[in-house]
This record gives sequence, C-alpha cells and structure tokens, in this order.
Amino acid sequence: MNPQRRTFLGYIVSLIATFPFLTFFQRKATAGETSSIKVSSPPGDKARVVILRREGMVKGDAPDVSLIRKVINEGVCQVTGNPLASGAWKELFTPKDTVGIKVNCLGGRGISTHPELVMAVVEGLRIAGVPDSNIIIWDRLTTELEAVGFKINLQGDGVRCFGTDSNYEADLEEIGSIGSCFSSILSRQCTALINMPVLKDHDLSGVSLSLKNLYGAIHNPNKYHDNNCDPYIADLNSHPLIRKRLKLIICDGIKGMYNGGPGFKPHGSWEFQGIIMSRDPVALDRVGAEIIEEKRREKGLPGLKEAGREPKHIATAFKKGLGMGDMKRIEVVKG
Amino acid sequence: MKGFCNRREFLRHLSSGLSALSLSSGFVQIENLFKTAPAYAAEPLLKEVMFYKKLDDLRIECEICPKGCKIADRERGYCGNKENRKGIYYSLVYAQACAVHNDPIEKKPLFHYLPGTTALSIAAAGCNFECKFCQNWQIAQFRPEQVDSYTLPPDQVVKMAKDQGSPTIAYTYSEPVVFYEYMHDTARLGRSQGIGSVMISNGYIKEKPLVELCKHLTAVKVDLKAFTEKFYKETCSGELKPVLETLERLKKIGIWYELVVLILPTLNDSEKEIGEMSRWISEKLGGDVPVHFTRFHPMYKIKNLPPTPVSTLERARKIAQDAGIHYVYVGNVPGHEGEHTYCPSCKKMVIKRTGFFILENHVKGGKCSFCNYPIPGVWEKPPAIQPKKLTEFKRYGMS
Repeated sequence: MNPQRRTFLGYIVSLIATFPFLTFFQRKATAGETSSIKVSSPPGDKARVVILRREGMVKGDAPDVSLIRKVINEGVCQVTGNPLASGAWKELFTPKDTVGIKVNCLGGRGISTHPELVMAVVEGLRIAGVPDSNIIIWDRLTTELEAVGFKINLQGDGVRCFGTDSNYEADLEEIGSIGSCFSSILSRQCTALINMPVLKDHDLSGVSLSLKNLYGAIHNPNKYHDNNCDPYIADLNSHPLIRKRLKLIICDGIKGMYNGGPGFKPHGSWEFQGIIMSRDPVALDRVGAEIIEEKRREKGLPGLKEAGREPKHIATAFKKGLGMGDMKRIEVVKG
Repeated sequence: MKGFCNRREFLRHLSSGLSALSLSSGFVQIENLFKTAPAYAAEPLLKEVMFYKKLDDLRIECEICPKGCKIADRERGYCGNKENRKGIYYSLVYAQACAVHNDPIEKKPLFHYLPGTTALSIAAAGCNFECKFCQNWQIAQFRPEQVDSYTLPPDQVVKMAKDQGSPTIAYTYSEPVVFYEYMHDTARLGRSQGIGSVMISNGYIKEKPLVELCKHLTAVKVDLKAFTEKFYKETCSGELKPVLETLERLKKIGIWYELVVLILPTLNDSEKEIGEMSRWISEKLGGDVPVHFTRFHPMYKIKNLPPTPVSTLERARKIAQDAGIHYVYVGNVPGHEGEHTYCPSCKKMVIKRTGFFILENHVKGGKCSFCNYPIPGVWEKPPAIQPKKLTEFKRYGMS
C-alpha cells in the first residue's frame, strides 16, 4: 500500500473513531459558553416551555448582567434544542430580520421587563447577525419605557427604543371580536417579534403573560376588558401580524406578582428569580398561570377563577389553535 | 445620568460587561444601547376625576357613567381617557382639545336653540360606547396620547367663543361625558360670562354627575341609538335603560333637550321599534321634545349596509307624528321638507332650513308669528349666571 494512501486511511479511521468524543466535547464546550447544560430536541408532539431559575439575577436593584446573559442563552438553547447558543439564535433569527422586542412597562419600575434582560436578548440577536439598527425595543408609550430605565433612541444609530405613542395604522383590522388599529412598529417595521412580558396577575384577565402583553400592540385595549378579556385576547393573537412574526417569548419572572396586578403592589409580589421561555405563547401562558396559581395557594388566596378572573383567554387561544393549552402535552424543562 | 440607567448602574453594567467579555468572546459590547434621546411627547396634564369611589388595594370605581368601571392601579376605564394612578383616578384629557371648530348650531343638531347662531365646538379623545357606525371614530375610539390635541384651558375656550361671536360652546364630536371635568369647568365659566353650553351626548351618564352638570348647561342633545337592549349591547357596547333614565331626568330637571335617532337599515328601522320608541317619547317626555330621524352613511365597522333610504326616514317621521310628537325632523337629507319647523297649531312653516342654514325664521319671542302658538325651545341668549365659587371644584361622590 502506498504510504501516502495508508496515512490518509489512518486519518479517516482516527476521525471516525474520535467523532463521538468530538461531538461530546463540542457539546460540553459549547454549553460551557453559557452553563453546563444538556439539551435535547424539542418533542415533536409536545410544546416545550423552559423555566430557568437562578438566585441573584437581580439582587435588590442590582442586576447580575453576566448571570442574566448566561440564563438567556441557556434558555434559547433549551427552547430550540440546539446546544450552541449561537446556533440557537441563528435558528430563530436571520441578519435580514428586523426584530421587535415587545416589553411590558405598564407596572413601572416595580414590575416591568428588566432592561438588563432585554440587553442580553439584544446580544443574542447580534450573534445571529441582526444589525443593531434592525432591533427595536418597544411598548405602548415612550414615557413608560423611559420610566423603567430604557434609554430612548427614536431614530439614531444602534438599537432603537421607543413607544408606539400615536403611530398606529390608519385602517382598522377586524378579526373575530377585535376591531383595532395596529402599532405601526409591528405592522411596518418588524419582520420578527420577541415577546417579553412579565410574570404577573391581572385584575381583569387573571394573568398578564404572553398573550395579554400584545394588548399593547393595538390602539384600543380598553374596549376589550369585558368577560375577563375573553375572547378578545385570543382573537387578537390570532391575527397574522402577530402569528407570523412571533418567534420567541421570554417572560421576565425575576420578580412575579401573584395578586394585585397589573400595577405594582409590593405585598402581592415575590422573587421568582427566573425566566420562562417558549416558542408557544399558549403553552407559556398555561405554565405561567399555573405558577401564579401555585403561589396564590401558598399564600392562602383563592384561585383566579374563584376570585372572578379566571384566565379564560388561554383556553380560548388553545381552542383557536394558537398553541398548546393541554398540560399533558406540554414538556416543561426546568433548570 | 438619566435614561436606560443611572451613572452607578451604568458603571456596574460596564464593569460586568467587560468581565463577561473577558470570559466569553461570543458576545459583543453593549455600549450601543446608550444613546442620546431626542425629544418626544411628554406626560399629559392630570386632573382628578370628579365622580369616583375608592376601593380596596388601590382600585377605584368610576361613577360618571353607568358602565361603572372598576379599575386597578395603572389601568384605564373603558373610555380610555382616565387612568388610575395609585388609587387616584385622573382625567388625561382635561384642557386637551383634539377638535375645535365653529359650527352652525343646526349641525349638532339643535333646531330649537338659538337658530342661525354658531357654537364653538370642542372635543377630547375617548368614548364610553363603541358604536359600530361611529362617525368620528378617529377621535372617539382612540386614547388621548394617540391623537393630536391642543392645550386649551376653559378660560381660553370661553374667550375663543366670545371672540368668534358664538353665544354657545358645544361639547361634541366624541363623547363629552368622558371629558366631564373639562366640560363642567368650561360650562361653568362660560355661564358666568353669558356664554351657553350644550352637550351633544349619548346620554350614558349617572344621575349625580348629570344633575351637577345641568346647573351649567343650557341644552342637551341626546342620541337615542335604538329602542332595544339588543341593539345597544351588540352595536354600541352600551345599554338602553340608563339612556332612557337620563331622558326622564332631563325632563325633570327642566333643561332644553332634543333627540336624534340615527336609522340604520335592517338594524333599528322596523315599524314596530320606531312605534314603540315614539310612543314612549310621547308618553314619558311629552310631544314637545324635537326628534330628528337622521340618515346613516356606511362608516367604521358597518360598511356593509347602504345609506338609509329617504323613504325609511319619512316613514319614521310619520310614525312619530302619529304618536303625538309635534316636532319631528328628517336629518342628513338637505332640501327635505322634514328639515323645517312647522307650527303644530296653524301648520305653517315657522323656520325654513336647508342643510345647516336658516332661510326664514318666523318664531318671535318663542311664539309662532302667524298664530302666536308657543314654540318650545331656547330662543334668546341665556343670561350670565355667577356660580357661587369659581375656584377649584369640589369632588363629588366620594365615600
């Protein structure tokens, strides 16, 4: 045998023999970028919801940016089943996307999406190659964003951050029980949406999580408060402007509210010190609502249904096919 | 340092960021998030709502309209222009006019109120109904921050009316019940200076605020949307009963008022419904209250219906006249004979109109100039009335 040929075959054999180890080390090394985690592919027949809790993400008012970043990247790996954080972000977003990050600032500094969490998401989008100028952090009002600590950037270079304010579409969109003008940020500027609600109780809809947070995308949410906001929330979320754009939900549960929402009440809040992530808004809300119910039980409070504000919109959204509402068919990954 | 974070937080972020960068090369820097912000719309002026009740846990119950919204901290009522902030309920539209125009009083329409004069007409964003045929939905169905508004305090509104030679201020276009405080203070100030005030409303208001308001108003126009609860619920997101109660209260208070009924093909135009409505008006309010049956044009969420046939309006007019209502008009049909006022006694035309314009007026001193029969209405400019106090209002309805 030609020595060169022998050498070549030797390489091939070595490569084949070492491949499983390489894969192992690669996974481990990649996980080491964020934390030592094991990921698996999302089950085909179930929705996946990831709950990651870490003490110290925010201590008092002091956020641990490094830890938050780690948790967010671990979460996106778990959600996608991709062991590489970079791969996971790239699986969800492309450099051509304009990504809107819809936060929730209604509750003021007490109970709003943490800017540090959003920063970590922005970094993930950068890894996916999304240019800063194609990232928009938004909510209803610029003043509300500013009040919770976001730096407003209406049209300068870099990541933009502003509220819809008066910039709604002139024409009405009608779907089911909803007839509303959409935020032009969502309708005209974004090609992809990351929904970043907070984990909280709501006086009317029972809970305000992923589905309810998108009331902030229309001009007239005050018209849809009857009957615990049902079927309005589900109808709104069935609109293609939302369904087609929504890629990821990251619920900020660093602090949660089990009672007294949507405004901040210290006595109705607790340090959940976690985030909840999913690509399925209904599954995330189903799991998030259960977390709130559990806390209410622990505190001796009546369940949301008994309190007259059953989050009926989650079941309605499930019936409409907007996601998975059956707990048996939701895989909850905890870490 | 104000904005995304304060100076201390900034330095902490920077330090954490740099540490993280040294540990992981996969992330890029965060400094681009720290940008200088240009100016943008500021917080609105806040005025505490006059009628509401405090509930537990910083919640409140609005007592202006029969919706009786119970509102948690940081939330708004159905009208969208009032907000609960830490248990205090604020109007976000006080002195914030989103529409200002000098209109003929006939446009309101008020046909028995200073005919041929103008009314300085103002509106603020919001409504306590959501009529699917809303004619002014771009302001009535939006929240204050979503529409352009002028800061126009009550004294400037009154001055503007005087400067333009309008004896009246009209609160109109959207729903004035939901900008109650603004209307109340302007009407009171106007009255003290001889300027009247008319409310163009859906009549969906609770008794206490209505009684207080009528001390300062000179006339009211109420839209009676239909005569079934079904229509009110399904087409307007409201209720009929409280509107009927308002009409009876207006009669009891003794203020001048007129009714408008917008007729929508197939939805509220049946002979049965018009008949029941007309008989109720005749019996409960009397035959002297003017009723305007007006023509619908496709708008907002009802675009699948045609404009109301003129024959339908004529039929409604006949039914109402047969029920004993003396002054029944046809609206939004310029040149129609149903635009004129006829004396119930001598049957002669006493006010001839076309569109919003007066061509002839034969009402003198509140009487038909042909036969001296009294024609009800407000025919002379109301005198100036000095309220006891023109300082800050008292807040009513607090428990």
